[in-house]
Amino acid sequence: MKQILLLEDLPEIRAWLKTLALQVFPGAQISESARIHDALELVNAVRFDVAMVDLGLPDGSGVEVVQALREKQPDVQSVVVTIHDDDDHLFPALQAGAFGYLLKEQSREQLAEQLQRIAQGEPPLSPSIARRVIQYFTAQARLQPVQEPDTVTPHVQLTDRENEVLLRVAKGFTLPEIGVQLNLSRHTIADYVKQIYRKLNVSSRAEAALEAQRLGLFRR
Amino acid sequence: MREQAPAAEAVTPGGDAPAAPVVASSLVGLAPRGIWVVLGLALAALVALGLLALNHETTRLSRAGALALADDGVQSFQRALAVADNGARFPEAGAASAKAVQVALPDEWSRTQPGHTGGVWYRFPLALTQPLPAGELLAAMVDRACSSVEVQLNGVAVFRSGRMTEPYARDCFGAHVVPLPTALLRPQGNVLDIKVAGYPVQRVTARQRAGGLAAVHVGPLSEIRQLADAQVFWTTTLSQIMGGVLVVMGVFSLGLAWVRRLDYLLYFGLLTMGWALMTGRFWRADLAVPNDAMEVLIAMLMAPMTGFAIKFLLGYAGIGVRDKAQQVWNQRVNLLLWAQCLLLPLSLLLLGVDRLFLGARIWFMVFAIELFVAIGHFLWVTGRGRRAEFWLMCAALGVVAAVLGIELSYQNGLLQAGGLHVTHFVMPLLYAAVGVRLIQVYARALQSAEGARAHLERRVQEISVEIERNFNQIAELRVDQIAEKERKRIAGDLHDDLGAKLLTIVHTSDNDRISTLAREALEEMRLSVRGLTGRPMVLSDSLADWRSEVVSRLGQAGIECEWRNPNDTIEEPLSSRTYVQTTRILREAVSNIIKHSGASHVVITADVDLENHVFVLVIQDNGKGIPMELDGRLDRGHGMTSMKHRAKQLSGQCLVESGPGFGTVIRLTLPLEIASMQQVMSHRLGS
Repeated sequence: MKQILLLEDLPEIRAWLKTLALQVFPGAQISESARIHDALELVNAVRFDVAMVDLGLPDGSGVEVVQALREKQPDVQSVVVTIHDDDDHLFPALQAGAFGYLLKEQSREQLAEQLQRIAQGEPPLSPSIARRVIQYFTAQARLQPVQEPDTVTPHVQLTDRENEVLLRVAKGFTLPEIGVQLNLSRHTIADYVKQIYRKLNVSSRAEAALEAQRLGLFRR
Repeated sequence: MREQAPAAEAVTPGGDAPAAPVVASSLVGLAPRGIWVVLGLALAALVALGLLALNHETTRLSRAGALALADDGVQSFQRALAVADNGARFPEAGAASAKAVQVALPDEWSRTQPGHTGGVWYRFPLALTQPLPAGELLAAMVDRACSSVEVQLNGVAVFRSGRMTEPYARDCFGAHVVPLPTALLRPQGNVLDIKVAGYPVQRVTARQRAGGLAAVHVGPLSEIRQLADAQVFWTTTLSQIMGGVLVVMGVFSLGLAWVRRLDYLLYFGLLTMGWALMTGRFWRADLAVPNDAMEVLIAMLMAPMTGFAIKFLLGYAGIGVRDKAQQVWNQRVNLLLWAQCLLLPLSLLLLGVDRLFLGARIWFMVFAIELFVAIGHFLWVTGRGRRAEFWLMCAALGVVAAVLGIELSYQNGLLQAGGLHVTHFVMPLLYAAVGVRLIQVYARALQSAEGARAHLERRVQEISVEIERNFNQIAELRVDQIAEKERKRIAGDLHDDLGAKLLTIVHTSDNDRISTLAREALEEMRLSVRGLTGRPMVLSDSLADWRSEVVSRLGQAGIECEWRNPNDTIEEPLSSRTYVQTTRILREAVSNIIKHSGASHVVITADVDLENHVFVLVIQDNGKGIPMELDGRLDRGHGMTSMKHRAKQLSGQCLVESGPGFGTVIRLTLPLEIASMQQVMSHRLGS
């Protein structure tokens, strides 16, 4: 039985998303929350398998919850469910550790299918997000040599394959198309995307740690 | 005391040679300097020799004998019967003190009457060889008598230049014209007696003021007057003119020194004015001051004059401005010069009245040496800088050397006195040359300062224009930022408010049509917001986005899709408005294909025509086509109108070709807004 966190402020939508979740994960235990504050309390209390998190909430951004989940329950699959489709909202969520994103206005069938895929380990990747990821890692690679060798920062780099996948997504090819082009299974392509997300998150956490260290939050 | 370098020229390029290659630079730096100094000294020597020759020539020409013109009836006396006596008359033969001897004129007491103070009588037998022209008076002229003279004709006093008792009147430079009254003339045996009262050379500080008598002429008054006029012109008037010029120049220098706070100009002004006052012979006032006091006073003036000259030279060379060590030296020199002003009178007083001349001579020698050192130092400093002053100063050195040489040899009795001396005229000329040069330097500095000011003004103007431009840019940027912020706020509001409500309708409505409409409205809203907040995109990125969406939508609908992109990546920018509108058009077209066409295969070709600044999207399906309306137009329900409208809004066009059974071809042509977009891009990059 799955434990699902559902964070959504609008009651109707929350009800609707609950039905959707129950459709995808029959018999799941769903903890509902309308505010970040409540959601964070739930995160401390319950072990979740899946989290469906809205971004624009009355008391802040759902990214906070995604981050808390990533830190306290690394195995949870956070999915951002939002009305925003722009990089400025999605990319920070992915960096914080979200594993995928759903756009709310899609039909229940579409959403159900996508949620299913994410739950099965096939995260979505749009061309604009792929471009952002490429930019991000390019900038990281440029900064890398400057960092001191003895810092605790893990050296996060994308493999050639991951880069290849990203580049193709950025050019507008869909994941199945790329699978055909690279003569790889759909499953393998999905793994690459998962790896990319994971590295994005690891890298951003390392960055945050470094920043915290720089600000003197950690004392040795 | 504030010292300033005369001009920018004073900063010598050679002087700042880096110290690293010491040996090489000092060798290279010294060799040319040595050459310059040698050249300068050669010039100085040339000038000095020339001056000496000139002096020799003028002295010879102006000597009494040479001027004697037998034709016009003027008789010049080369010899006289002289006897030292303080009596009121020429001591007649047989008197106790009468030891009259023949002397050659000009007669210097230092030779013929050493140490004598008081009067000396000279007797000239007057033989009237030619009868005077009718109506003409007879007159005598005394070229020069020091320091006071009385003339008697046949024992009757006819002229007296000043006091004949101590202190004697001081009138050593002028010529005296004495008309000889006809009534006193006898037919024969006329005697002209001249009594000269003066001091021995030991009691004066310059040999010129020691007792003595120059040539005496007798002739018709008109001729004598001509002769006297000429002499007055050369010995007095010219000196006065030059003195006047020097005074004016000195005043000018002082004014300039005051305004510009340039010390060396101050010293130059004081020097020229001092010189003018000392040599201009403006006053011939016969003050009843004891001779010794007067002599000491005159000698005293020489000390500050030398001081001024040296201070001027040092200041003009720019000494004492650069470093600490030089300033220390400068202060020492100052101290020395001032001390000298005090020491000179003290030493003269100590030496006593009878050794005035000796003391003065020693002091003048000291001054001369100081001056030579100062000039040499100036040459050394300027020679390194190759300033124009270098040559001027070389010439000056020559002049000063010659003048001092002549003067010193005269004072030491090596040179005969009498006649004209070049020295009187050369020094003022030298001052004038230096003054002109100073004014030239000042004028040039002024000119360059004005040039610099004009340049500065121009720069200020340029910079203010630039600042204004920058300010405008910043203001624009600020406006952009505010607009961006406002757009974001509106977008956020739309999402949170309108978006949430539409979303609720989408997911709660039982009516499919209403939920579809609401979903479409939501998508429209999102595109609008994107148009509001969007950054410009690169065309190839836009193509990627479109491709991804179109291919996955068609794929989900089970329709095969072939997307042909141009071969090159296209970096042309695309405004977010164009991006959004094109997305809508594409979406509409794909929706049509999925809903109505029944097509199984779609080919989408994207192409860029850089020459015409357009990009073209062709969407071709193999469906059943769009049915015609009765009026021959395509079905409005298929959204063709809105697609065309959107294309038109972007100054592009959307052509639809369709027929039953032939499928549909939509040809979308849109302009690339290169120029305007590039501006926007660079603007954003710049920020």
